[in-house]
Amino acid sequence: MLYGPLLVWLLISALGPFDTVQGPSSKLLYVHVPTVWIAYLAYTLTFIYSLLYLIKKNPKYDSRAVANAKSGVLFTGTTLIAGSVWGKFTWGTWWVWGDARLNLTAILLLVYLGYLASRRFSDDIAKTAKNSSFIGIFGIIQIPILHFSVIWWRSVHQQASILSQETVSSGDAPMSPDILTTLLISVLLVTLVHVFLSKKYRITADQIWDDYLNPKSRAKI
Amino acid sequence: MKKNLFFILIGIVIIVFASIRIASNNTIYYYTTTEANYLSTSSNERIKLGGFVVSNSVVKGDLGVTEFSITDGNIIMEISFDGFIPELFQDEMGVILDGYFNSGIFYSDDMLVKHDNEYISEDGEVYNVENYKE
Repeated sequence: MLYGPLLVWLLISALGPFDTVQGPSSKLLYVHVPTVWIAYLAYTLTFIYSLLYLIKKNPKYDSRAVANAKSGVLFTGTTLIAGSVWGKFTWGTWWVWGDARLNLTAILLLVYLGYLASRRFSDDIAKTAKNSSFIGIFGIIQIPILHFSVIWWRSVHQQASILSQETVSSGDAPMSPDILTTLLISVLLVTLVHVFLSKKYRITADQIWDDYLNPKSRAKI
Repeated sequence: MKKNLFFILIGIVIIVFASIRIASNNTIYYYTTTEANYLSTSSNERIKLGGFVVSNSVVKGDLGVTEFSITDGNIIMEISFDGFIPELFQDEMGVILDGYFNSGIFYSDDMLVKHDNEYISEDGEVYNVENYKE
């Protein structure tokens, strides 16, 4: 179930239409944009589940928070790599150190890597889970800063094409309909990839919690 | 327990502070030509200058130097560029140049092409600015 959408997504990205000025490298749009949107989504879910875990103390919320963060980290990494390659083709460089959006995305990745690392500080999961939840909750602040960075600060990065005020208010995205359709299908497929991937991670996390709460279940094996 | 929480909060504060700080330091990541017009005479300091390449202004000179003009729609400035030119460089494309002014000409050896957020495919409809604004 995981590899189906993944494969179709890669095929669509490879065969999809591209911007005539930028050339075939602009197909990275179908990788770069959906993956960063899913990273936004995943971290938002991590935020919600971390909050629920702190309030209700139910391990199932913690498992969901971790699962989403893991998937989010993978997608943030993908978006950075795809963006970097795309930057090489259009801007003429892999990375622009002075650029707000690029740096903020790198920090976003580091924070959630930190979130995942913070869970390994101690074997006492209940304790680390509580502490990690704070990172999961406060980490969300970065998403709006990141998203509006291209509007607030001058950047080499282009502004949003879909999630921009103009597009949302006029309902008319600044791209050809075939590119837009391919992009939206990619978003749908990547969402599916995220759903299945985070489910996989959630099962692993649930297992770890189960071993922690019922030590005997492990002894049986 | 309290100690861990303290470290986590400190970490979060540092991250948020650093994000804003890093981004704000680059509030003026590049100057437009109109803004640079006020700076140009004052110093030989290296700055970043952004603008759109003026149509038909690109001249490939000797010794690998490329001369062209850029504009922000208000002020036009002459550029003498000696360095790696990204493939997308062409008329009316946005560029960000790193360099310095010397007697009214901007000497640069580092170029970034800044592409906008429009994506027009070969057989797709042509995107129309007038339609977009309604």
